[in-house]
Amino acid sequence: MSFPDPVQMAVPLFIIAMIIEMFVVRAGARGDYDWRDTGTSLAMGFGNTFAAVIFGATIVGTGVWLAQFRLLDIPATWWSLALCFVAEDFTYYWFHRSAHRVRWFWASHVVHHSSQHYNLSTALRQTWTGFFSLSFAFRLPLFLVGFPPEMILFCAGLNLVYQFFIHTEAVRRLPWGLEYWLNTPSHHRAHHGTNARYLDRNYGGVFIIWDRMFGTFEAERDDEPVRYGIVQNLATFNPAWVAFHEWISIGRDVAAATSWKARAMATFGPPGWRVGTTADSIRADWEASRHAATPAE
Amino acid sequence: MVWISLFGIITLILLARALGFAKAPVLADTAQARRLAAEALPGFTARDAVLARDGIGALVAGSDGQVALVRRFGDRWVVRIVNGAKAQAMGDRLRIVPHETMFPAAELDLGPAAGDWAARL
Repeated sequence: MSFPDPVQMAVPLFIIAMIIEMFVVRAGARGDYDWRDTGTSLAMGFGNTFAAVIFGATIVGTGVWLAQFRLLDIPATWWSLALCFVAEDFTYYWFHRSAHRVRWFWASHVVHHSSQHYNLSTALRQTWTGFFSLSFAFRLPLFLVGFPPEMILFCAGLNLVYQFFIHTEAVRRLPWGLEYWLNTPSHHRAHHGTNARYLDRNYGGVFIIWDRMFGTFEAERDDEPVRYGIVQNLATFNPAWVAFHEWISIGRDVAAATSWKARAMATFGPPGWRVGTTADSIRADWEASRHAATPAE
Repeated sequence: MVWISLFGIITLILLARALGFAKAPVLADTAQARRLAAEALPGFTARDAVLARDGIGALVAGSDGQVALVRRFGDRWVVRIVNGAKAQAMGDRLRIVPHETMFPAAELDLGPAAGDWAARL
């Protein structure tokens, strides 16, 4: 069984899909583009491919090295491929959850959320610094379990390709009960929201069942449109600033901190900890205001 | 593949522009400015606001004395607290330079209110 690179194969498809989405939106479908925002998103995606080339060998090498200590010898078959796909998505959930809850990982992942738009080009707004944040570590247990390294990389690529297509407002809900099992455009729109209701919810990659299992699911509501972006939206389209602004902010906060606890929290605490605007505090304030607005029965 | 990607990127940017995805929104009224500030700033309770005469920005005062700048960014808006920012009133215009790196200066035509709002920052 051989495993191609799904992402490389999908690049022409990405371009065609974005062109179609632009025309569909122009024709009246839900969604929006801004050429400057799209330029930044695509520049980030382009830079990400170079980062993958530069650091990819080290990441893959680490996985292959770990594979010599594997617990099992899992053969490359269709059933193991299906199992690997689900297992890889499970590790993605925990990577993604950590990427929102730990500032060190968020410093890389914030790039993907830094657009106030939500369209297919937003999917390509990817980090240049994922290697430094060590986000690949979440996938390493799969190598230790004993899945073939090529299979793990193939599944990770498939996961990425799937997620590209859910970055759209043009699709409202998927039919046939798929909204229960899969991460869909609707669920992922909520994930990109800065509304208190949607903040830090729906971390799943392909499957949304992980969020249902671990209590992080929030359905998109038609009566509460999603406001896309980050809690403090950027005011520049400069790709370098988009790539590094949170790292620079961490550096400044650490330099200004007066205790080791403050330094640790500025680096590994939740995003917004220093200024008191973590997702938890924003959600708590929102919940309190909702309860205050609702008369007691 | 690099050249295909580059060609694709340039094509998509030009196409987006050609299709008119290049809006420059203006604020309709102070109510919209207040709403944008309240949505962007957790815990911010908007009290009064002043709109730039061309609608490209606004200042919104909160009930706690904080003042938020609502500024156009592409086809969207960005909001920041600007108390303590460098502010200079020049006749009817107020120039605000926030301390934040890469946050561009804003020049708002506030009419006769420019001086009063400069004093509040």
